[in-house]
Amino acid sequence: MVVSLLLALPAAVGLWLVSGGRALPVRPARLLAASTAGLTLALAVLVAVTRPGVDRAWLPELGVRWSFGVDGISVPLVLLTALMGVVVTAHAWVEVPRGGTPATFLGCLLLVEAGALATFTARDAVLFLVAFEVVLVPMWVLIGRYGDARDPRARTEAAQRFVLYTAVGSTTMLVGILLLVLSAGTADLRELAGGAGAALAPGTQLAVAALLVAGLAVKVPVFPLHTWLPPAHTTAPTAGSVLLAAVLLKMGTYGLVRLPVATVPDGFGRLAPVLAVAGAVGIVWGGLVCLVERDLKRLVAYSSVAHMGFVVLALASGSQTGLQAALYANIAHGVVSALLFVLVGGLKHRWGSVDLTVRRPALRETSPRLGFVLLLGLAGSLGLPGLAGFWGELLAIYAAWRPADDRPGAVLLSCAVVAAVGAALAAAYALRVAGLVWSGDRPDPESPATPDTVGVERWVLGGLSALVVLLGVAPMLLLSVTHDAVAALGGAR
Amino acid sequence: MTSLVSVDAVVLAPALAPVLGVVLVLVGDAVRPGRSRWALPLAGVVLVAGALVALRGSLGSELEPLRTLCLPAPDGACLWTAGPRTSTLQAAVLLASAAALALLHDGRAGRRDTAVTATLLLASATGGVAVAAARDLGSWLVALELATVPVVALVALRGTRSAAHGALSLLVTSLASFALLVLGAALWLTATADATFSSEAVAAAWADPDRRRVLVLAVTLLVAGLGFKLSLVPFHAWTPQAYAAADLGTTLFLAAASKVSAVAALLVVVSALVGAAPGPAVAVLLGLPAVASLLLGTVVALRQDDPVRLLAWSTIAQAGWVVVPLTAVSATGLRAAAAYVVTYAAATTVALAVVARTGARTLAGTRGLLRRDPLAGGALGLALLVLAGLPPGVIGLVVKVLALSAPVAAGVWPVAAAGVVAVVLGLAVYLRWVAVLLARPEPADGPGEEAGDTAHGRSTRVVVVAGTVVLVLVSALPQLLVGGLS
Repeated sequence: MVVSLLLALPAAVGLWLVSGGRALPVRPARLLAASTAGLTLALAVLVAVTRPGVDRAWLPELGVRWSFGVDGISVPLVLLTALMGVVVTAHAWVEVPRGGTPATFLGCLLLVEAGALATFTARDAVLFLVAFEVVLVPMWVLIGRYGDARDPRARTEAAQRFVLYTAVGSTTMLVGILLLVLSAGTADLRELAGGAGAALAPGTQLAVAALLVAGLAVKVPVFPLHTWLPPAHTTAPTAGSVLLAAVLLKMGTYGLVRLPVATVPDGFGRLAPVLAVAGAVGIVWGGLVCLVERDLKRLVAYSSVAHMGFVVLALASGSQTGLQAALYANIAHGVVSALLFVLVGGLKHRWGSVDLTVRRPALRETSPRLGFVLLLGLAGSLGLPGLAGFWGELLAIYAAWRPADDRPGAVLLSCAVVAAVGAALAAAYALRVAGLVWSGDRPDPESPATPDTVGVERWVLGGLSALVVLLGVAPMLLLSVTHDAVAALGGAR
Repeated sequence: MTSLVSVDAVVLAPALAPVLGVVLVLVGDAVRPGRSRWALPLAGVVLVAGALVALRGSLGSELEPLRTLCLPAPDGACLWTAGPRTSTLQAAVLLASAAALALLHDGRAGRRDTAVTATLLLASATGGVAVAAARDLGSWLVALELATVPVVALVALRGTRSAAHGALSLLVTSLASFALLVLGAALWLTATADATFSSEAVAAAWADPDRRRVLVLAVTLLVAGLGFKLSLVPFHAWTPQAYAAADLGTTLFLAAASKVSAVAALLVVVSALVGAAPGPAVAVLLGLPAVASLLLGTVVALRQDDPVRLLAWSTIAQAGWVVVPLTAVSATGLRAAAAYVVTYAAATTVALAVVARTGARTLAGTRGLLRRDPLAGGALGLALLVLAGLPPGVIGLVVKVLALSAPVAAGVWPVAAAGVVAVVLGLAVYLRWVAVLLARPEPADGPGEEAGDTAHGRSTRVVVVAGTVVLVLVSALPQLLVGGLS
């Protein structure tokens, strides 16, 4: 009941905002959207505590059930999604992009949130796919209609690329899911993870795992399937970027954990070396691009590719620590990248562009609060101890250093070394950005000063910064939630 | 055993209703010639009544189908056998015909040939309903031709030069397809020594290598003949021309009702093969045109700028999708194909009704429709998303899942791979149009579009609303549709 309400509330309000309430002026619309997101967050907390479930027949002919519920793996993601719902709707007080009515914009945000929540709570493989597809159209509208107003052509192209890449991924995944469901005889993810999937023949397992990994790798994104991400991030409005980085990418990694890792462990194990290498290459590739990238928003997007490389590497290691690391790095990246995108979006709003080659007065002098948050975000992103990013990356490298017994040790060991080099690259590009933006040029008395953060933006940035620090100093808060579920997955193998 | 065959009028009602309509229209026209403005509404009422009776059959069970026209025992073969799937397809044919009538009604206010139009359309609907339930070669062939031939006249009725060309190409196509079908039926009879579509006879024929060859040839010819009616590549060439040349109402009839009856006819053939004719031969026979239609249809649709032509090429691609599950030659494949064609027909009906309502002849003509006319824009957007298979058009995604699950279960991988490619290309086709709908309307074209709006009045509006309600309902509860097709 509570789960149904959690999904229905943002979906219903979102649908109304994009259809009946399209003409609603910005003030009531954002009040409605923000209170919906707030209520959804409250419901998400309730769901996380009581862990209820709903299970009804939906498509009996296919054996598909309307089954939603949470466990230790999904609870952090549900909370993160609901929190991001509040962040993006609150951000409407800072900036509502043009391109359509404000109500439609906010409605699309809520619809993305509803789709992501459904994805993270679905307990049926086919239902998971349907929920996975729900976010596609509203996100397409967000990028294509509300994206960067200066370049309509780039906007359309980025939106199209986003949809088509993701559709290739999800359709490949669909074939994998169908093969899995039809050969195992059940679509229930709990039964599939409980041994129904592991009982399949090795050849079938490998085929299922290959289709699922290939499909989900697009969404994560894993190098070399990441090319849709930078343009999408560059053109999307700030709120869209936040959702994209903090929620949509997580759907890919969550899918990897839920589907191939949990259901066909042997098939996934045979693909793990490939995935580990792709992850390691992604880490270095992302870091190298960040060293030379001019557009700050695109830079943050490429750093996402690097961070997702750590997640994939940790998953490929096959150990419990690896799974824990992946789930932790997932959440940490969600919070840090949300912080960075809100910040960079704010800078873009103030400066008109975030080209790093344009010399601007030092942020630390003109607007110290923004400057501090930028430093904090960059430090979190490079994995400074005491901040959120640290534990995910440390554990990921450790897990690759000590992989499960059935994984090829040499491959993962070298990947761990490469990943460590990539972490050093992250420090280099973080310092580059800090040098260019934070310490910048001497303030020129004639150029207009960058206004510092005030009002809602300050609260949003402050809250996210606090979360970055909290996750960094008290990692057990999160690790203890995921621990039991991960142990159950490990026990099923 | 007093009579030769048993007749149950209630079971036959879905076909008898349009026949009754034909009689009423003709009598009425004879009594008061030339003043038959009531003909189309009357035909519509009759069709909807027939559909309601047919829907009653959808709730029945597969094990106890509605049968009538049965020969006396001990043979006991029934010429009319309608399980839930057949009944649902019959209802779809009748409702799609009613929608076509509604568009014709609005499109030709004041025209004098309404009685002829109503008669032709009702006759064709009768054929479409009958072919779905026919289980013997003779009735199947006759019903199929009854469903096809009146449409040629409907296209020609518009009277323009291009309509005459469209009708001519349709006529030639129909004749070719009829020849193929008759030959196929004859070979089927030779191979199985049975004038009905029965699995037992097919199984017996399949066991004998010589008869198997004849049977494969028969199936080839029957698929080719039906391929013309279904617009499968390489039998598709008439489709864009006829669609663009005819009245939008007639186009709607061709795109929805005709396609459903052609699929119903194909299902009669394939259901006789299910379980009786394993092996890759049938999968290849059905898979090749399916893959070709999927790929060619979507790629060409990508370049179209006329909404009607775009929908015509999309029909070709969607026809490929309908055949995709049949390549598995399994019972689940039959259900998936039926579910797909009904969903496709509903979505195309809505899309064409909106095109008729706006009168747009280019994609740019629908620019900003979502803001100018939220009802039409929203309905068209939903219909396109259903065709693309993206939520919120959940039903489109569900039927694509069903359609792909059959070949995946049977291991027909090339078809599944082509399906993946077609999904992605299809997204590009339909989202391109949705993007136009979402765009900011151009200030200049305001008054011009209003004129188009008045040309198509209340009946079209009813079709748009009813079709959208159906799409929304089955998107929320796919079981409503899929459950009636077991």
